[in-house]
Amino acid sequence: MAQATLGKVRFAGLASCVPKSVASNLDCAPEKKSERERLVRNIGINTRRVCEPGQVFSDLALKAADELIKGLGWAKSDIGALLVVTQSPDYPIPATAIIMQDRLGLPRSTLAFDINLGCSGYPYGLFVLGSLLAAGGIRRGILLVGDKSSNPGSLDNGLLSLFGDAATATALEYDETAPNMYFDFGSDGSGYKAIIIEAGGQRVPMRPEHLERLPGADGISRKGTDVILDGPAILNFSIREVPPAVTALLQSSPYSVEQIDYFVFHQANRMINETIRKKLKLPEEKVPSSLHEYGNTSSASVPMTITVRLRDALAASPTRLLMSGFGVGLSWASCIVDMDRPYLAPLIEL
Amino acid sequence: MDSLETFINNFTTAVDFQDQVEIRPETLLADLAEWDSLAALGVIVMFDMEYGVTITGNDLKNCTAINDIFALIAKQKG
Repeated sequence: MAQATLGKVRFAGLASCVPKSVASNLDCAPEKKSERERLVRNIGINTRRVCEPGQVFSDLALKAADELIKGLGWAKSDIGALLVVTQSPDYPIPATAIIMQDRLGLPRSTLAFDINLGCSGYPYGLFVLGSLLAAGGIRRGILLVGDKSSNPGSLDNGLLSLFGDAATATALEYDETAPNMYFDFGSDGSGYKAIIIEAGGQRVPMRPEHLERLPGADGISRKGTDVILDGPAILNFSIREVPPAVTALLQSSPYSVEQIDYFVFHQANRMINETIRKKLKLPEEKVPSSLHEYGNTSSASVPMTITVRLRDALAASPTRLLMSGFGVGLSWASCIVDMDRPYLAPLIEL
Repeated sequence: MDSLETFINNFTTAVDFQDQVEIRPETLLADLAEWDSLAALGVIVMFDMEYGVTITGNDLKNCTAINDIFALIAKQKG
């Protein structure tokens, strides 16, 4: 088990951006209404935000980052690191973070690279950027996290009803007085097929037939470039790994469950999130959710939930959060971060 | 031995039927309109929370009747 403690880094601010366009899981033919209501009840997702054609993750991220930097009053010349956690990059190469250095108008001295992670990505991004700052040479850094996961036109109902698009920008700052952050990480590559896009990498190079929808073993027709989700495998993984990882993180930290103000989990679906919450015996009021309105927003779901559910609480007093992401990889990570009234932008729509 | 009657109650809640259906041990899953991927997830959660037993999607695919699913409890508990 990989665990780490990170000092001298302050959580300075957060901004989240979603597309304006709203998709409803209850928007269907009248004869499908009852079936859809059952789906919404069980996955807990009523509406989702979806990118317009041509709109991509980095467009949302750019807006979030601009608002964040403005809100903090930071000079762009003070920003030395820009990390992007996404699985929806602008291009296979080069890294989106490097393109974003230019789009954001950050100095050419900026360190920039991408991290290829999905739902587990937020704690990883905080740790990697935080570690760079803690090393001492870079004072301020920006972390862009999120995905465009919606796939209009997909014939996979499970996939269609789950994912919403979102991007978030987080600001971290070197600060010798900042309280420690605590981290716990895990990876299980044996489960790589549970969430996968099979075609388009070097293992399965893209061929013309990958652009056609062909029936899979489960009877659902997909393109080779579509995400395939193995629902039962993801569920089993999530409820097996996340509760003990959270417990192990708490045990490695100076804090008890009672000393954590909020537990912010990746917003997978209601069944998974409720099972994790019940296994950890956490009260509902300490476990905020953004699933109902925004769906599963991949790596953005933890910071998105903070923006839409905890903005007032975080503005009122110093708050200790335990955040946990889990999913594609398979990969998981949790962290405890003290936030002393960071700058939190209201949710941005683009 | 866990009660079959309790199990059928748990199963009915987990599947979240839209209309009331009578579930008997010999009821075939193929005859249940709601026996779909969502129902499978609900049943996997129910096994974990109510019986402390982990079952997989393949375990459920190999079942044809309610009895077969019930038998997974004893099988997985050893």
